[in-house]
Amino acid sequence: MRARVTTGAVVAATLFTAVLAAQTQLTPSDADLAQKNFLPIGPPSPPPVSRVPDLSGDWALGLGGIGQSLSAADPGGRMRGKEPDISYKPWALAYTMAQVPPTGPDAKYETNTDPAIHYCEPLGLGRIYMYPAKTKFIQTPEAVYILHELGPAFRVIWLNAKHPDDPDPQYWGHSVGWYENGDTLVVDTVGTNDKSWLDQLGHPHTEKLHFIERYKRVDDKTLQLDMTVDDPAAYTAPWPGRRNFTRSTTGFMRFMWVCSVRDNNEHYEKVGAAGNTGPTTFK
Amino acid sequence: MRSALLVGTFAVAAILVSNTVAAHHGANLFDTTKAVMLKGTITRFEWGTPHNQIYFDVKDAKGEVQHWVASTEPAPVMLERGWTRRSLKEGDQVTVYIFAAKNGATVGNLQKIVLADGKELTAAGPPAGEQAAPAAR
Repeated sequence: MRARVTTGAVVAATLFTAVLAAQTQLTPSDADLAQKNFLPIGPPSPPPVSRVPDLSGDWALGLGGIGQSLSAADPGGRMRGKEPDISYKPWALAYTMAQVPPTGPDAKYETNTDPAIHYCEPLGLGRIYMYPAKTKFIQTPEAVYILHELGPAFRVIWLNAKHPDDPDPQYWGHSVGWYENGDTLVVDTVGTNDKSWLDQLGHPHTEKLHFIERYKRVDDKTLQLDMTVDDPAAYTAPWPGRRNFTRSTTGFMRFMWVCSVRDNNEHYEKVGAAGNTGPTTFK
Repeated sequence: MRSALLVGTFAVAAILVSNTVAAHHGANLFDTTKAVMLKGTITRFEWGTPHNQIYFDVKDAKGEVQHWVASTEPAPVMLERGWTRRSLKEGDQVTVYIFAAKNGATVGNLQKIVLADGKELTAAGPPAGEQAAPAAR
């Protein structure tokens, strides 16, 4: 009887340890990284025949358009780790919950683990649209250039092109694009590194990320962006995000929103430090 | 000591706090359930990113000066609200509504500021008015 109890205890302890190890694994396994993407990558063949929509102008994510989460079901970030539209792999859930967001309902600015605040690394795909900043599109026959006053940063969306077979992993990846339905620019990106967050909450992605953006001219004043995260190494299904741009009232680059580690640290010293009596991740 | 500084408070429904404050760095350090009203004098206005800082002095009931700092969203966002780098200057007499630090420090998030002539500059909630004018450059 005692032996049976002891064996049971050992098994339970082993299982507990295994579960704990799985929960504390914060990076994808080789098996995760070997998964194939859920969605077709690159332009359809043959490419769609479409009128070229006019994306000109100064597009703002307005004062009411600030987002915390990329999740379409939880843009305010109130369901971190429990979003109904995100199917996490265990490591990705553990990673997300291990992060300390700088903003949003779960924010602890003084102890945040945000690489963009501490190192001013590029915000990257998805997260660039979590701020009330402005974006501009320069359309040419060869490429669409997406300019961000936040960062600042720019991306090149190559038209009539394919992804390289083995792209070098980079913050913004490699993007190709095409037009659809006379009103939409589709941007298809692969070849990212795994350093950026997808949003303010710390949702991770891997080098397997396949990120799809559809910029649709809904009317003269509105540009709707639907995003799809296709990362089989971090999530068990694709998941959606949505943002809406409106016309800017003050103009693109009226004030360049530069990221500066010195400015971030100084802001904490001037305002955050006095209000914080606990630990901090600021230097 | 802080209580002596308070000229008054007004309640702010939690739902109105919402995204603007939640998006603000350091919002978790401040009491976002009520804004404190302070009457004071501007000593410095820093305009930039990641946030603007407004420095102002407030005299308590004993005549002692308290040095306060209020932060706002960054300059490009405040431009959309109608602010400019010249909206405040040293010596301006102002009434400040601020979400103050929970620990009693004289820092916080600006909600709005009222100038001596009655003009209001908002720092939270919807902007004063949506303009359809062409974008200035």
